[in-house]
Amino acid sequence: METETEGVDLVEGRVVRQFARAALLAALMGATAIVAIPIAGIPGTLQPLIVFLAGIYLGPYWGATSMGLYLAAGIAGAPVFAGWAAGPGVVVGPTGGFLVTFPVAAFLIGYAIHRGGDLRDPAELSPLYLGGVLLVATAVLYAVGVSWYAWVVGIELGEAALAVAAPLIPGDLVKIVVAVAIARSGRIDTV
Amino acid sequence: MIEFRNVTHRFGDVTAIAGLSLTLGDGEFVVLAGANGSGKTTLLGHCNGLLVPDEGRVLVDGHDVADEPVAVRRRVGMVFQHPRDQFVAATVGEDVAFGPANLGHPREEIDRRVERALAAVGMGSRTEEAIEALSGGEQSRVAIAGALAMEPTHLVLDEPFAGLDEPARRSVLARLEELSASGTAILVATHDLRDVLKLADRVVGMSEGAVVLDRAPADGLGDLDGIGVRVPGC
Amino acid sequence: MLSYAPGDSIAHRLDPRSKLAVQAGFAAAALAYTTPVALAALTALAAGIAAASEFPLRRTARSLRYPALLLAAGPLVAALTLGPPWFEPSAAVEPALGSYRVLLVLVVSAAYVRTTPVSESRAAIQRTIPGKAGQLLGVGIALVFRFLPVIRGDLRRIQRASAARLGTERGAVERATTVGVLGLERTFRRADRLSLALQARCFSWGPTLPALSLSRRDLPALALAAGLALSALLRGARAVGLL
Repeated sequence: METETEGVDLVEGRVVRQFARAALLAALMGATAIVAIPIAGIPGTLQPLIVFLAGIYLGPYWGATSMGLYLAAGIAGAPVFAGWAAGPGVVVGPTGGFLVTFPVAAFLIGYAIHRGGDLRDPAELSPLYLGGVLLVATAVLYAVGVSWYAWVVGIELGEAALAVAAPLIPGDLVKIVVAVAIARSGRIDTV
Repeated sequence: MIEFRNVTHRFGDVTAIAGLSLTLGDGEFVVLAGANGSGKTTLLGHCNGLLVPDEGRVLVDGHDVADEPVAVRRRVGMVFQHPRDQFVAATVGEDVAFGPANLGHPREEIDRRVERALAAVGMGSRTEEAIEALSGGEQSRVAIAGALAMEPTHLVLDEPFAGLDEPARRSVLARLEELSASGTAILVATHDLRDVLKLADRVVGMSEGAVVLDRAPADGLGDLDGIGVRVPGC
Repeated sequence: MLSYAPGDSIAHRLDPRSKLAVQAGFAAAALAYTTPVALAALTALAAGIAAASEFPLRRTARSLRYPALLLAAGPLVAALTLGPPWFEPSAAVEPALGSYRVLLVLVVSAAYVRTTPVSESRAAIQRTIPGKAGQLLGVGIALVFRFLPVIRGDLRRIQRASAARLGTERGAVERATTVGVLGLERTFRRADRLSLALQARCFSWGPTLPALSLSRRDLPALALAAGLALSALLRGARAVGLL
């Protein structure tokens, strides 16, 4: 049947729903950059957890879109980066490698869990597989994050790892456990 | 004119509205009353094609909501519960411009519509203000302006008074009265009939997905109690 | 926090696109050179940009504390040695220069944030990136900025409630899980309502774009951006042996 659009090309309902979730998850990511929640006494934000959840609940494409929106909003001046920071320079700053890898990590997680196409219920996956996927994605985050820092400051990889990665590793391992627990809770529906 | 012709809508196994027929005329002020779960919100969703009927048809000025969403949404403006969750930009003017920009109007026309819509809700001089800093009543009015900027002939509001204090309630009510006087048809779903009855041409009572009452307020509404709606003065 | 403030400085009056071009050019040049001479030139330029944006120096310095600490860690670690003399200051010189140029980029970036409202950046991005991607990015940036305070409030309430209810008896993992589930539930509930509101207002792929206009004022900024980009390119070409 001919659909009358009067020259207006509406965004499809299914796309709007995923897009709204992606945008608001990006806002949640920005909110957690400020609200620090210490886990097991280790200070740090919940940001890596939100990257995991983006892949788990939005899938590869919308998960990566969500993290891309987070970056774009920060570049545009919304105070969403760690410590209320904002601006285009932050992306090439000391943590720039981590930041630009967020969309990649969300994509990898989403792809490993959902394989493109329709989203699956993450509660049905084995916790071991889920944990393994998140561990690999975290390793990718660290690899790029540490390499960038080493290059931009001009030091060796080992030294860079000591400077920016070592303090974060224990907290991020706990966040993997938390993400698996959230996924297994079965309380969040995918679209 | 919005016409419901024998409309049925189901969510899974639950039938939210069943074989409902209803006509809302141009310029009419209609109050849709019913308890939670009576099917009010489902009915509203059909008014501009956010929901489409499983059976039957809904027509807006002859345009079927299932086939012509743009024609329908131009004519029917929607204001949802929870105004905080329907803003798309951080400042008043930028938010209200969203609808007319989507319709592809030129910049000057958008600016004119934003100005008019905000003036109609008494927020004329406040385009640059941050929405988050506004009071609940002001946010409700900006949400109404967002719908008005599309220059609809019908305005549909879902529980517009929920969560508002008394002065805010009165300010929203006063704006609805003015809009109605200027010819916009208004459909208000609410379970709180205070004051709004004074404005209404008709009250439509819903229960279990069906219209159980449809009359002018002057003809007595004592039986609304039976469907879980508190009627003032009864 | 350093954020946009209305003003009448030179930078305030520029088109956001030319400012973004300067940002990109400056970052490229800073990443291409670490020689003291180049850094001195970039420092002078950064000072000029700061002056043209009239931003509060002390507040900016405070907002750069956290990245500055991170940037200081690099040279420090490089100076440490496993064995005598344990600390070798000369090894820290090169990394210190590397860190310093990043700090310059952040100062210039602060000037952008101070002089450009998010709505203008959004317009710049939406007008520069074509098609559906540009439209989703533009509206998405506006939505993130709009919902940031809303969701920040949600998180605070959830934290307070879970602290009151669960106290400290429960494990840290369990508490973080509760905060995560509640936060995500609330965020998605808001998103589902928002998606109805977007559709009701005819969210479309081809809206009228927000207004922006380049003027003659922008020419010097664009020339500066081009010069910076060119200098970075030259350095790159030399590095790979083309020149």
